Amino acid sequence: MKESKPRKYAIVIDTFKCFDCKACMVACKVENEVPVGFWRNWVKHNGRAGGRRTQFQPGQCMQCDEPSCVEACPVGATYKQNDGLVVIDPLKCIACGNCVTACPYGARYRNPIRHVADKCDFCEHRLRRGEEPACVETCPTKARVFGDLNDPASEVSKLMNKEKLVQVINPLINTNPSIYYLEGTSLLEWPVEPTLPGNVHMPPSFWKRR
Amino acid sequence: MSTKTRGAITRRSFLKLSGTATAAAVLGGPGPVLHALVPAEDISKQGKAQKLFSACDMCFNKCGLIARVEDGVVKKLDPNPKFLKSRGMLCARGNAGVKQLYDPDRLKYPLLRKGARGEGKWQRLTWDEALDHAAEQLQKIGDKYTRCGVLFMAGSDLQSKFVHRFAEVFGSYNVISHESNCLLSRNRAFLDTFGEVPLPDVLNCKYVIMAGANRFEALVTPDSMDMMTAMKNGAKLVVLDPRFTKTAALAYEWHPIKPGTDMAFFLAVAHVLVSEKLYDEKFVQEKTFGIEQLSQHVKQYSPEWAEKECEIPAKDIRRIARELAAAAPAAMIYPGRRTSDYENSTQIRRSFAIVNALLGNWDRPGGLITASKVGLRKPSYDPPFYEENPFERIDTGRSLMMFEEEGSFKHARDAVIEGKPYPVKGCFTYKINPMQTGANRQKTIEMIHKLDFMLTVDIAMSDTAWMADLVLPAPSYLERLDPIAGLQGASAGTCLVTRDPVVPALFESKPVFWIVTELAKRLELGEYFNFTMEEYRKEQLKDLPDAMDVLKKDGVLNRPGKLYGVYEGKAFKTLSKKIELYNKRYPALGIDPMPVYSPPAKVPRGRFRIVVGRNAYITQGSSTNNALLHELVPENTLWVHPKPAGKLGIGHNDMVKVKSSVGAEKLKARLTKEIREDTVYMDTGFGVLSKGLSNVHGMGACIAAILEDHNDEISGNMAMHETMVTVQKV
Repeated sequence: MKESKPRKYAIVIDTFKCFDCKACMVACKVENEVPVGFWRNWVKHNGRAGGRRTQFQPGQCMQCDEPSCVEACPVGATYKQNDGLVVIDPLKCIACGNCVTACPYGARYRNPIRHVADKCDFCEHRLRRGEEPACVETCPTKARVFGDLNDPASEVSKLMNKEKLVQVINPLINTNPSIYYLEGTSLLEWPVEPTLPGNVHMPPSFWKRR
Repeated sequence: MSTKTRGAITRRSFLKLSGTATAAAVLGGPGPVLHALVPAEDISKQGKAQKLFSACDMCFNKCGLIARVEDGVVKKLDPNPKFLKSRGMLCARGNAGVKQLYDPDRLKYPLLRKGARGEGKWQRLTWDEALDHAAEQLQKIGDKYTRCGVLFMAGSDLQSKFVHRFAEVFGSYNVISHESNCLLSRNRAFLDTFGEVPLPDVLNCKYVIMAGANRFEALVTPDSMDMMTAMKNGAKLVVLDPRFTKTAALAYEWHPIKPGTDMAFFLAVAHVLVSEKLYDEKFVQEKTFGIEQLSQHVKQYSPEWAEKECEIPAKDIRRIARELAAAAPAAMIYPGRRTSDYENSTQIRRSFAIVNALLGNWDRPGGLITASKVGLRKPSYDPPFYEENPFERIDTGRSLMMFEEEGSFKHARDAVIEGKPYPVKGCFTYKINPMQTGANRQKTIEMIHKLDFMLTVDIAMSDTAWMADLVLPAPSYLERLDPIAGLQGASAGTCLVTRDPVVPALFESKPVFWIVTELAKRLELGEYFNFTMEEYRKEQLKDLPDAMDVLKKDGVLNRPGKLYGVYEGKAFKTLSKKIELYNKRYPALGIDPMPVYSPPAKVPRGRFRIVVGRNAYITQGSSTNNALLHELVPENTLWVHPKPAGKLGIGHNDMVKVKSSVGAEKLKARLTKEIREDTVYMDTGFGVLSKGLSNVHGMGACIAAILEDHNDEISGNMAMHETMVTVQKV
């Protein structure tokens, strides 16, 4: 697909609105035929938090601009497209699992049926049909807003200009995620340090480029 | 197997192909294995993807959806963005609808019981055999015991009206809905206050108190979504619940109220509103009846008094009452939905209704608004008269003000067991599962054993089907042609919906409309079912000539209409023609005209009060076996506070035995501070007896097996929170 002007897909999430109904998780599971026991997206929560209002924080692959998973892939099966999506070529993937541990967000899993790495791709096949990602469309309170950051008229661009947004980032390494949260979301500390399987450090080249 | 022989196919792509073929059965979505379930001709008919409208049936809300159908297989259900009542959403259950359609556990052909009831031995019948047998049995019972000797039970479904029609022309007025296990206490209370059951305009409300309502888990459209939107716009939500539900978790205030004392709280709120003159005086003078009596009545119910009953500090009650008044009329006590909890539930909900009246929120933005007519015609017919029939329903006279059109499951069951006032020996159930939802399962079994013949129509082998003599397979909502229905969506207005099949019916399943039509033919009642569904829909839409085109184009016909000020100059449908703070009809029936507080039964030492409910992933007994939802909630657990659990030596995830006076069940304990120390909780929908529900059989415990069958004295609604249990480590 040739684009005259590249897109930059992003999702802005309003944690305030999520009531943990898990519609996004089931919608994704059906849409992407995710096997039993695995999920491409999630809802985290901050517990009872001392009598304050609980927050439920939806998430999925953050489509990072500097993706550690891409660095970790030995065969170039996972790569960043110019529309911002990080995708996996199932014909190239050897299911080594490097990208699974390299993801600071735990967004990847090894699909035991297809024997490839798998994760959210913002429902790229739906985008091609002119539809929104399944999780975005089905949400009862529209807590997720999807769109093109390169289109100033898009809802995500408007939110980017209007609202204070934050990103959920591992303190050691900023992979520049494309998922933004409205300011005030708690649960900012959970991303883990990217490693290779067996807790092996990512190659020095990865750290040097930051 | 060698990859070499496959020439150009790489190892990766080969693995991918073979992996898909062998393991598709565990895929989350409808994988290729489904082609085994779908007849080849249905696949070949359609070469490309289609998008077809329908309305969800995973719960009662009926949210609009768009099914993506590829090669005759439903691949995905998406929300219909034009569906205002659902706010364009589809929840987890809605998304899991594909697994109701493609469920290997579905009933596939008519089954006749061979062994003892509930033994699970069946013989396959042809439809002709099954219908002939059913007609013969119904005829036999009708001849021997009168036509009222057959009890009909139909759940919330667009085709249930045809079961009602069949019952009526067959000659039985013993028809029961699911509602007497659900919301009748609320309906009774609001009807007896306002003359009708209002809808809450949550969207425009600034201050909402939800007492016992769990809108962020037990989803009601549009209330659940509107509550969040209202909060986003600054509304305050206060939750009173013995349990830390997700609604409580998301509220600004949660008060773990002592179960059964909500009336004390609201009488105290009324006390503050009256004594501090915070109520809407103009509104109350013009539109209500009985403010003098109420003022006198609530004098005794001070916040300080209420604190001792409900265990919410008096200063909080006072503050909340003042905050409510400040936000009025865009302030409300949310009426709630399932109110089958206490023996005085109607009076408890009356106290909610009275506070609403004091706030003057009736017919105003952010308050209680009225349902408007949708304009559907109700095709009429003249049922035959059966001279030999008794005069009354079997459940009549057991409660003071039962809704005759809904009946009372509890009373009807007692009547069948006692054989009084007359014997009932037949039962026809459609899409209703009292074995799971009716408190005191032993009694339901006892009732079934009194029957000569029980027929159940359902999609899967529910516990109720499991006990039946003849089980007939119905198609899921995605395979059906349904009548038009009008829905009330509060501030979203009303709308019309319908369903056309998005795929043909699987197996030998047949809709209940067809089943009762065929039975009617065999019982010489064919003239009452001499129409097709298309003709019926045409008749329904006679006054709305363009509606069908809109339904075909958009999947819904939204009719926003006038929402506020509808009652200007209109009389209320009560005896006083006003909103009745003091109910004028009650004294003659021996009912307190204003709610009089009596404390709930004390929880004996070493025991707990058990409360029940659900989360956003289950619809009572009908969805827990769904593969996608089963993954989210594989079983229910008993919520116990760690303090009493510690005393009983119960650890987290320990198996415990929960025992009441009517039964005992075993399930895992969930130790959590999200529940009061004197209360335990479990979800509905588990502990099934039916081996035809393969995912959930043997998982968790059944509420109906533990709950005693108390009832609301006024409405005959079940009272499910009146049971005390012991909990023991197994």
